[in-house]
Amino acid sequence: MNEGLYWQGMTLLDFARGPAFRWSVAIFIVGVIWRLTMLILAKRKRLEPPKGAPVAGGTKAVATRSTPPGELYGGLTTLLTRSAPAHELEKNIVFQHYSGYAWHISMFIILFLGTPHMLFFADILGFTWPTLPGWIITFFTVITMGILLVLFARRLMNPVLRKISTWDDYISWVIAFLPFLTGFMSVAHLTPFMDYETMLGLHFLSVCALLIWFPFGKLMHALVIWPSRYKVGAAFARRGVRA
Amino acid sequence: MAASNTVGDVLRANGVSRRGFMKFCAATASMMALPPSMVSAVAAAIDSAKRPSVFWLPFQECTGCTEALTRSHTPTVENLIFDAISLDYHHTLMAASGDRAEEAMYEEMEKNYGNYLLLVDGSIPTGDYENYSCTNGHSHLSMLLKAAKGAAAIVSIGTCAAYGGIPKANPNPTQAVGVQDLIKDKPIINVPGCPPVPTVMTGVLAHYLTFGTIPELDKFGRPMAFFGQSIHDRCYRRTFYDRGMFAETFDDEGAKKGYCLFKVGCKGPVTYNACATLKWNDGVSWPVQSGHGCLGCSEPDFWDKGSFYRPLSAAYWGDAKTVGISAAAGAAAGLAAAALARGKQKKAQQQEEQA
Amino acid sequence: MSATTIPDYGTLGQRAAAGLKPKGLSDEQKIARAKQAFIAGIDADMATYLESCIHCGMCAEACHFYLGTHEAKYTPIFKTEPLKKVYRREVAPMRLFNRLTTRDITISDLEDWKELAYDSCTQCGRCSLLCPMGIHIQSMIQVVRNGLAAAGMAPAELQAVSDEQRDKATILGAGPDRLREAVERVRAQGIEVPLDKEKAEIMVLSSALDFLKDEQLLGATARIMNKIGADWTIRSDGFESANFGALSGDKPAQRRISKRVIDAAVATGAKKVIVAECGHAYPVLRWEAATLYGKELPFEFLSVSEYFGQESKAGRLKLKKPSGEVSHVTFHDPCKLGRMGGSFDEARELLGAIGVKLTEMESHGRTNLCCGGGGGVSMLQSADKLRKAAFELKREEVERTGAPTVVTACNTCLQTLEKGKQWLSWDKEIVNLVQMVSENLD
Repeated sequence: MNEGLYWQGMTLLDFARGPAFRWSVAIFIVGVIWRLTMLILAKRKRLEPPKGAPVAGGTKAVATRSTPPGELYGGLTTLLTRSAPAHELEKNIVFQHYSGYAWHISMFIILFLGTPHMLFFADILGFTWPTLPGWIITFFTVITMGILLVLFARRLMNPVLRKISTWDDYISWVIAFLPFLTGFMSVAHLTPFMDYETMLGLHFLSVCALLIWFPFGKLMHALVIWPSRYKVGAAFARRGVRA
Repeated sequence: MAASNTVGDVLRANGVSRRGFMKFCAATASMMALPPSMVSAVAAAIDSAKRPSVFWLPFQECTGCTEALTRSHTPTVENLIFDAISLDYHHTLMAASGDRAEEAMYEEMEKNYGNYLLLVDGSIPTGDYENYSCTNGHSHLSMLLKAAKGAAAIVSIGTCAAYGGIPKANPNPTQAVGVQDLIKDKPIINVPGCPPVPTVMTGVLAHYLTFGTIPELDKFGRPMAFFGQSIHDRCYRRTFYDRGMFAETFDDEGAKKGYCLFKVGCKGPVTYNACATLKWNDGVSWPVQSGHGCLGCSEPDFWDKGSFYRPLSAAYWGDAKTVGISAAAGAAAGLAAAALARGKQKKAQQQEEQA
Repeated sequence: MSATTIPDYGTLGQRAAAGLKPKGLSDEQKIARAKQAFIAGIDADMATYLESCIHCGMCAEACHFYLGTHEAKYTPIFKTEPLKKVYRREVAPMRLFNRLTTRDITISDLEDWKELAYDSCTQCGRCSLLCPMGIHIQSMIQVVRNGLAAAGMAPAELQAVSDEQRDKATILGAGPDRLREAVERVRAQGIEVPLDKEKAEIMVLSSALDFLKDEQLLGATARIMNKIGADWTIRSDGFESANFGALSGDKPAQRRISKRVIDAAVATGAKKVIVAECGHAYPVLRWEAATLYGKELPFEFLSVSEYFGQESKAGRLKLKKPSGEVSHVTFHDPCKLGRMGGSFDEARELLGAIGVKLTEMESHGRTNLCCGGGGGVSMLQSADKLRKAAFELKREEVERTGAPTVVTACNTCLQTLEKGKQWLSWDKEIVNLVQMVSENLD
């Protein structure tokens, strides 16, 4: 597994970029696929007809479980509409709602439109795409870190969040925050007590940490959000309600 | 061997004018970041340098370092200085050879014991493979250990001598190492590069000749004056990196316009050398200027750090095979977990139905 | 038109609770049974939900109990904690890792969660609409109740009535006998009530909770059914909409109770079963009864307002506009019929046919704010304070419409809104949609 990647006396950067990353990706894939098997747990077969299905009675048996396109449509549209709930539901938490999306969007800009990152994905996918100049990425990095810090403070102070938060939330925050911090410090060459290569190595290692932690904690939400939104959309559509 | 006694004598004998010599000293002084007032001190030092005893031992090398230094269109002052000072022994260059040459070398070493400068290029095979690199029947390992005993200081010329270089690259078939892995009790200056910039080599020697001391070294033992800044920070194409203008391949529009070579594998950001400022062939050009990314050749293990054409940010994520095996392992574990869980669920549901 | 017909559920609940026989389980047994019920209730969909929570706390902002009190423990997803823990430790794919990080549930967890699963949740489903991860929190609360009930820890009021309904087919003493009495009283008013017809196209359900005090609602329903001219009946062997097995979380009881309705409908050969104006009755029958029964049903369930609205739209139920001033009303969508039932338009169809000026509340239709009385909460006197606090939100929205009348289509909502009038010394008129329709028949 480490063939050609490991040698005695390698630097932290070489280790982070080489064996560490390879193992992290492997652990990530093993963990993610393992955890996603919750989708194949036992299902309850529902025998009630969905709303709007052909009327029961007589000789014709009614379709069970799902009647496309009702549930399929409801499920798929909810994937997107859930990002914009009805105003009367969320009028008290508009800040949380928008800041959450803001830093995620910012993160995707950094991750996919930053040239060094794009090159990493290009190596996997086999094709490149246009990216943004470095200073724009740095700008978004600062914004992301700012929002993350505010939300962290909020989690520590808001009574609801204090009640429901677990150590998973805090660990995941740190693990999510570190790539931005180390990336920013690398680009800005802000490297206290260490040299640039070490900081860059820490940046790679912070991503390794993220990959390793991903299947075990709440970072997995990046993947489970899709089946979850679909299922609630389908469940409500089954009852004839837009989710 | 020349009859002159000092370096200055040699230079004058070869027609180097005072003016030309001072120009060289001024350039050397400024390279070492010395104030203009020091120029005359440098000049005086080199002029009266008593043909310091310098021994150049080439080991498991490709001769590229020697070539870089000596291969030039016109004789340069560097060459002359080297001619002046390294006459004592350089088996590649000197006319004499064999036992007698070697004997002469060891005699001179005895005479100058504790005072001579030992220059090494090439890596040193060790262990079972010690004899893979020999001169006149003696392994280079044994030669190094013997020669190092009376040296005042050792200069490892080139990445091979400094860190093991290409021979050390995986799988290191000769168990090659650099000088610093074998000699622990002498001051060592590493002047890496594959090959090093000739001006850098001379500059280091000029420093030693002038001050008799080792220059300030970085964590890899390299003189800070020449290896203290990264290629990236001194690269003339840096603006394009900052603006996000890159060459995607070696012959596209970006390449032709001289855009940044990060995407085609330049290791400039993590490589420390003087190429970007001093350049090669008396300042004619250097790899990036010629359109090829920096290989990182002055860094330890640069050959093993992976493809020269793989961008620095492209970490080693694995390959399709590793991904496939991981996915299969995850699926197997997950299916087993799911099967067991489903069993639990079914059992609980059955018990509920019977209630 | 106001609902003095509806008795105070809280008082009735207390009376029933007094007669409850405890199950006599040890703490270990309770925990084991709760766990088993949780595991049985977690299917693939619920597993997905349980994996998805990111602890953002947004669900709290949709919950009337949280908004009324600002007490963090009423955060909807927090109400499912025991279920989450058991899932993570027993069923989740990463359970080996989770066992290191997730505590096992204790008896005090179950005790503490009694309030959270029963007193502070009406299963209104509003939280399920807001969660950015798409977690259907409402569906999980029922499983929490199943677990607590299996452990014998459902609130005494609900468990007592559930036991009674399961064993005796009566609710608080009211069963087929009381039905017959009520039917007689309706007939005495000149309204025909086809009781216990052998065969009929439509079987109408009522609820003991309706005619515990008087028969007005039964009479109103009968009048409308007769006006439509439907071939209908009400069966003394299967007339009860309410399902205290569902409210208490006692799943075996729930199954047995809904089976009675199904058996009666099958025996009648009915094509439609009209569910009386009881909130939870509709989803329990429409969305859960067939699965518990184990077979697809040969008839469809419709709520009263749903059916009448359809008939009005089809022109088979003619309503007349009132003479004189048009009422200014707002409509309170019952959670179980609307958001959890899919019926919004039918009620508005009826209001439109009657001809009222309708001003919608800010949260209406699928985002309607729960009145705070459903899911059995109105029977728990321990929840009184909570309901009062939560009701403030409803009051504010009603007042902003400027309408002096609130129309609703669920009797629990009606009772809660009436109670709200007491709490606030409110001057609003609370009207039952079916009664309104029956008074405006053409």
